[in-house]
Amino acid sequence: MKGQSKLNRASQWLALAATVAVGAGLALAFTSPPDALQGNFVRILYLHVPAAWLAFLAFGVTALGSVLWLVTRKPRWDRLAHSSAEIGVVFTAVTLLTGMIWGRPVWGVFWSWGDARMASTALMFFIYVGYLGLRRAIPDPDVRAKRSAVLGAIAVVQIPLVYFSVYLWRGLHQLPSIRPDGPTMDASMLTAFLVNLVAFNLLYVALLSARYRLAFVEQTQPGPVAGTAVTKPRLEGAVDG
Amino acid sequence: MTSTRQIVEILRRELLIERRAGEVITIVVPFAALALALAPLALPVDTDVLPRIGPALYWLIALLFGLQATMRSASQESEVSELEAMAGVDPAVRFAGRSLAAAVLVFGVLVALAPLMVVLYAPAPVPGWPAIIPSALLLAAGLGMLGVLAGDLTAGLRQRSALAPLLAVPLGVPLLMGSAQGFDYLARGAGILTWTLLLLATDLVLAIVGVVTARHLQEAKL
Repeated sequence: MKGQSKLNRASQWLALAATVAVGAGLALAFTSPPDALQGNFVRILYLHVPAAWLAFLAFGVTALGSVLWLVTRKPRWDRLAHSSAEIGVVFTAVTLLTGMIWGRPVWGVFWSWGDARMASTALMFFIYVGYLGLRRAIPDPDVRAKRSAVLGAIAVVQIPLVYFSVYLWRGLHQLPSIRPDGPTMDASMLTAFLVNLVAFNLLYVALLSARYRLAFVEQTQPGPVAGTAVTKPRLEGAVDG
Repeated sequence: MTSTRQIVEILRRELLIERRAGEVITIVVPFAALALALAPLALPVDTDVLPRIGPALYWLIALLFGLQATMRSASQESEVSELEAMAGVDPAVRFAGRSLAAAVLVFGVLVALAPLMVVLYAPAPVPGWPAIIPSALLLAAGLGMLGVLAGDLTAGLRQRSALAPLLAVPLGVPLLMGSAQGFDYLARGAGILTWTLLLLATDLVLAIVGVVTARHLQEAKL
């Protein structure tokens, strides 16, 4: 009980730290200088790039959780994979939406099929929507964990494909601004960008922690929801025959 | 019985079931043909565009309905799977046999749709078109493996008919690109080796994934 209370307090501090960091990141994003070419539209990128990074991180953690579940069969890894995939899907959607909003004024179109990064990110989104759909369709926790672990481990091949797509197929997407030979952006913009990156990482950890605890409760206390009005039809409707 | 012999037996059994049920021939192929025939009705009256988009539509419909053909095989699988598991057939061998059978069915869909596309869309003649046959075979093999994997992931679920394509289609995009772009390059007189290699690489990855995960998926039957 004492340990649980400590954990809750740590989660609350984490959520507070993430909120403050995201607030600071947004403030810097709005006060940093406009880009010489893109003007104020560059501010969208302070949200777009960290969101894309978080999507990669989240799906990477999903793959790690999946592989660890296949090796150890401990439920905690399945919970980790599931929780991280949900966050990854949300941040992939944010990446796609902010990319489209930025693309309209800068490229002249919301969507360009000539850009491999956009197309491959959309595919990654659908693959993980499928992953979540698969999880939701299987009522038995053990079968669900097995099948989704296999899919979670396979689907990770998308991440290098999305990341390297700008190098493999040159489209409209620009190359990364932070490179081994030094960043290509102004110091004030770089600061805003890095603060947002740190803030989004904190946000990820806070969201993951909250979602993981919810998954833990779902798995360990699988009682009926709202009488049996929610649970029973879901269990009956899931399996064929 | 050797593994190769087991693969051949599974392949034979799957094709025999399809010959008796005739689901791919009597349902999947006519439905795919209907989709190919209806697409021009959804386009503007300007029919000049049809010869240019015909091959692209052909590959897209081949992907979607080819996967449908592989799902048919996976949907009738649960009791046979249990029997084979009890008989000691290795799950990887089962994956290989079923994937081969699914690939044969997908190739059948491709062959059945090709003349229809030529008649309905009248694409410009492509010199050296037989060079696309290896690509079509690699596409069929890839879709066969992908369909079996998606079928196993969704086995026994009521949502299977929608869920399996949702899982398989995004993963099948390299196969679509390899075959469709390969044909386009061929039509423009360019080499198609890069696209054939993309198909080959995708097939190899799917084969490795299928063999490695076969046992886990076998254990995860409902």
